[in-house]
Amino acid sequence: MRTVESEIGAILAGSISEITQRSIFRRLGGMARAPLQHLTTQDRHAIQTELESSVRLFAPAKSAQLIASCARALALLGAPGGTADPAAPAAGLFASNPAAASTGGAAPGTPVRSPAMGGDKRLAIDSEKDIASARLEAWAEAVRIGLSKFTSVKVATAVSELARNIVFYAGRGTIELRPRQDARETRLEIVAADQGAGIAPEKLDAIFAGTYRSERGMGKGLVAVQKLVDEFQIDTRPGRGTRVSCVFRGAR
Amino acid sequence: MKTRDEQELPIISVRGCLLVSIQTELHDRLALELRSALMERVRLEAIRGVILDVSWVEVIDSYITRILNDIGKSVRFMGADCYMVGIRPAVAMTLVEMGVELDAVSTALSLDAALEKIELAR
Repeated sequence: MRTVESEIGAILAGSISEITQRSIFRRLGGMARAPLQHLTTQDRHAIQTELESSVRLFAPAKSAQLIASCARALALLGAPGGTADPAAPAAGLFASNPAAASTGGAAPGTPVRSPAMGGDKRLAIDSEKDIASARLEAWAEAVRIGLSKFTSVKVATAVSELARNIVFYAGRGTIELRPRQDARETRLEIVAADQGAGIAPEKLDAIFAGTYRSERGMGKGLVAVQKLVDEFQIDTRPGRGTRVSCVFRGAR
Repeated sequence: MKTRDEQELPIISVRGCLLVSIQTELHDRLALELRSALMERVRLEAIRGVILDVSWVEVIDSYITRILNDIGKSVRFMGADCYMVGIRPAVAMTLVEMGVELDAVSTALSLDAALEKIELAR
């Protein structure tokens, strides 16, 4: 069966890494795995918009060429003869992609875009696989709200550290991304929370004094996050879990 | 059948050196496998240097740094050089800001530069 994942994956292979491709397809949700002939014009616009931003971010040198190839593939394979009916009841394809569903009211034929700031995103961190996807999700969010390229890599790195700590020491937890904007600045607040064993006060002091090293490097990870962010706060108590809040700022 | 995620990283032999291009998520098990595979080949093939190509790696956090540094340490214990090439500018800047140590791995701008440095060091 030909799907967006199989066809676009073939085009991106060699230009965008496997991990990144998987994250792109995950963001497309059900659309990525739906048979191509089931896609509506609106679906294809949503896919094209997502691909364009991802390709510009991850393969800037070849972005023009890749975007053109993807557009061709979507046009040729998605709607034979370009006759797909935009009114077809294919809204179900959006079901597993809430972000796309919220913009479902856009007129057929116009690119689907999310609002400038958008809502908060809550990412479940349950296994090692979620570390890579949380990282890319955070990166995409940082780029989307207009943080610089360098700041966006810092955001991805910090989220990577926080997600690792959750998986290694608490087993599971959540990371929330909260984009904020006021007259002066754009902010991305990141809150990592778990119900794990927590960190004892003396251990916490040792971590930030640089004298504590766990076998898998949690001390290093927390200190690294603190150095990367503009604001940092940690609340933890033995037996009650840990909550790390931090903020990245960008000029408006 | 192994999925793409579980596959070992390919190790390529080039001019007396071993080259590994890291294009997948490094986790504990994969990193340990890579390290032992590299060390075995360093011993059997009298390898002079190991080159880790990270040009595909978009984010390097402190955990990945530690994994790379451990590989470097092990390779150096055996008497070979360990180089990291292709590090992205934003990744390098982030590592500097985080203050992480990467003392067991040398760096070079490109694969060519790393091979040249290893050959000069003979």
